Amino acid sequence: MVNLDPALLQAVVKPARYTGNEINAIHKDWETVDCKFALALPDVYEVGMSNLGLKILYQVLNNRKDTVAERVYAPWIDMEEKMREKNIPLYALESFNEIKAFDFLGFSLQYEMIYTNILNMLDLSHIPVWAAERTLEDPFIVGGGPCVYNTEPIAEFFDFFIVGEGEEVIGEVVDVFISWKNAGKPNGRKGFLQQLAQMDGIYVPSLYDVHYDEVAGVSVTPNCTQAKPKVFKRVLKDMDAATFVEEPVVPYIDIVHDRMMLELFRGCSRGCRFCQAGMSYRPVRERTPERLRELAKLMQQSTGYDEMSLTSLSSADYSCLGSLVEDLLADFKQEKISFSLPSLRIDSFSIDLAHKLQQVRKSGLTFAPEAGTQRLRDVINKGVTEEDLVNAVTAAYKQGWKTVKLYFMMGLPTETDEDIIGIARLAQKVVDLYREVNGKRGVKVTVSVACFVPKPYTPFQWFGQTELPEFERKQKLLKEHIRDRSIHFSYHDARISYLEGAIARGDRRLNQVIYQAWQDGAKFDGWSDQFKYDVWLSAFEKCEIKPEFYSQRHRKKEELLPWEHVTPGVSKEFLWQENERAQLESLTEDCRRGKCSACGVCPSLSVKVVDWGKKND
Amino acid sequence: MIKFRTEITKGEEIRYISHLDYASLMERAIRRAKLPAAYSEGFNPHMKIAFASALAVGVTSDAEYMDIELTKPVCQPEFFDKLSAALPNGVKLLKAREFDGKAKALMAVADLADYEIKTKLTGAFSAAIEAVKAFNSADEAVYTRTMLKKVKTIEAKQYMLAPIELKECEENLVLEMQIRITPSGSIKPGEVLSLLKEQFSLTVDVEGAKINRKGLYSGKKTLIDLV
Repeated sequence: MVNLDPALLQAVVKPARYTGNEINAIHKDWETVDCKFALALPDVYEVGMSNLGLKILYQVLNNRKDTVAERVYAPWIDMEEKMREKNIPLYALESFNEIKAFDFLGFSLQYEMIYTNILNMLDLSHIPVWAAERTLEDPFIVGGGPCVYNTEPIAEFFDFFIVGEGEEVIGEVVDVFISWKNAGKPNGRKGFLQQLAQMDGIYVPSLYDVHYDEVAGVSVTPNCTQAKPKVFKRVLKDMDAATFVEEPVVPYIDIVHDRMMLELFRGCSRGCRFCQAGMSYRPVRERTPERLRELAKLMQQSTGYDEMSLTSLSSADYSCLGSLVEDLLADFKQEKISFSLPSLRIDSFSIDLAHKLQQVRKSGLTFAPEAGTQRLRDVINKGVTEEDLVNAVTAAYKQGWKTVKLYFMMGLPTETDEDIIGIARLAQKVVDLYREVNGKRGVKVTVSVACFVPKPYTPFQWFGQTELPEFERKQKLLKEHIRDRSIHFSYHDARISYLEGAIARGDRRLNQVIYQAWQDGAKFDGWSDQFKYDVWLSAFEKCEIKPEFYSQRHRKKEELLPWEHVTPGVSKEFLWQENERAQLESLTEDCRRGKCSACGVCPSLSVKVVDWGKKND
Repeated sequence: MIKFRTEITKGEEIRYISHLDYASLMERAIRRAKLPAAYSEGFNPHMKIAFASALAVGVTSDAEYMDIELTKPVCQPEFFDKLSAALPNGVKLLKAREFDGKAKALMAVADLADYEIKTKLTGAFSAAIEAVKAFNSADEAVYTRTMLKKVKTIEAKQYMLAPIELKECEENLVLEMQIRITPSGSIKPGEVLSLLKEQFSLTVDVEGAKINRKGLYSGKKTLIDLV
């Protein structure tokens, strides 16, 4: 057990990140369990504690009598320094037992630019970073989460991955582990992994060989009979029956999402062509409003929070949202609970709802038109018109809002300077509307522009990313066209997006690069103040790999992509067809209430869209 | 107006949380306890609770005080049991007393705090006695407080109600000090310890010191005995 000296804790920023003991944290006697599972997110406590997926797995695993799940996050730079200085290993926040003593260490993979932190956490745990070097003394290292649709760049650091929704399969993994352990661990680590590989939704990278071909592409194929040639994601069929986090851990310090999370539904089939989540979390499956109200009550009673977020990929699309909001407001009138919708649709229905929910505070409203012209919005299948935006913003101004945030991307396929200037024009229009509505000045519009990173399993997975100097030129161009002082323009560091672009569509050769970057001091790469661009460039150079090969090359349809053996169920044909429709600026309907677009998910995973609004029609 | 004054602790488990975080954990506990808390009017209602003098991060306390206003009468045993059951590890409800709400604001009344500091003794105990004796008999001792580039000097002795007492306890040094809280300011126990080290040659581990507030008083009465 790790014992932390008060002098050490006094010397670091936010020591409560490292001391645990929160409300609803689960402490179990290790003597009474057969399986010990550490759940990690390779970022700081405040980020890690905000992740819903890990909260669910924490509950699912701890609901089992034979298993304990505990939490661990990346120590911030100051704490890491102290830990290394005093030779304190990474430990879990419940038992303070060191991570190496666990049977599993599971990482939630939220975004590519945090991969070096995984290596750092393994190293701090005194666990070999390379899977091949681990022994029976080490935990199994498992990954899951949104990045799981191309894990090749980190495949050699992991023993296995859970693909898709984890709450069912993680229990199956534990079952297999316990019986393997009780049988005397036959055939060592490999014996266990070979058993796992036969299960749906499990990818064991060491059981696959990689073959590289300049022309044909990268093929990843099983090297043993247990491994499946194609690993399909796991998906829950009935959200009402799914385990819900009724008793989430309540932190003492302020975290990124410091509120209750009521998950309305999974999936989003609006079909935005740049969006990986929209493709990989299909199909849409809603919880019933009755169940949601029940769950909201349980959660409020167990936490004492006064704020609840109605979360989903596009919460405003929940079929019964209007009545659900009314009911929740009535249910919690006494407790003064405030509600928030994290994602607003660009229409006046959303504004009315936001108004209803935010009677209390008029914080800013955020919309994501994503592109500056109708043409480009059609290319990406955003399905939003300028009129929609005008209507939504007008409604918002009438309700008293004075701050509007607009999210865009640059570097989208087919983009021209006209599209970039269109962003400035649209922002100006939003500013001018305020005067038209309210007859005076006083609005604040923030334009936030991200650099587009093409992701696997999207219709743009073949697209060559915009080059770095071009991103910078476009940022400058846009800056020049924003003249109104009520518009605040913010944009991303294009260098981070450039590296993210290479890693997102990389192959197994990148393991060396990530290892090298970490060795040379890269960590917390997603934090702009910690990002070490030069370290990354030199790591690529040392490994004689060019990032452009992965990020900027336009791939051909025939090319075998390094991630094809692990799939969320959308077919390559569908994605290619969507890619072609993008070039034609042609829209594809949302299958949630409209026509099926034949993406392939429902038949290949035997699931159905669950939309209570559709059922009632 | 229905009000309760409570005496609560801030224990080892939550030693490292700030005063503000302590206040929000109490708010959440009150909601879990389903006590009929009163809220302020207006667009951004907040729970009507108030605390006495703030504690620094890293300091524990046997004597924190919180006032809470309720909208409906609740009998004392029910109040006590419900709130106790909802508190996290690290907070204990020691006493709760209903009062008429006309008492002065908690924040304004405290005029004295009792602290115990436990820290590793790195030199001889006899030398420590000498160091503390020198401090106790000094006419003045000036501490320099630096906060975000702002530098302020504080004369510490004016805040010491009584001489610091010293004990040796299993290789630890235990200091007991009574510090005045005045409308024009006060000094923190950790600052007194630094002062002892820097200016009176007390050889102790300042960073690793465990500081505990043992009592908080107003006119020699504990704050709960005021109501």
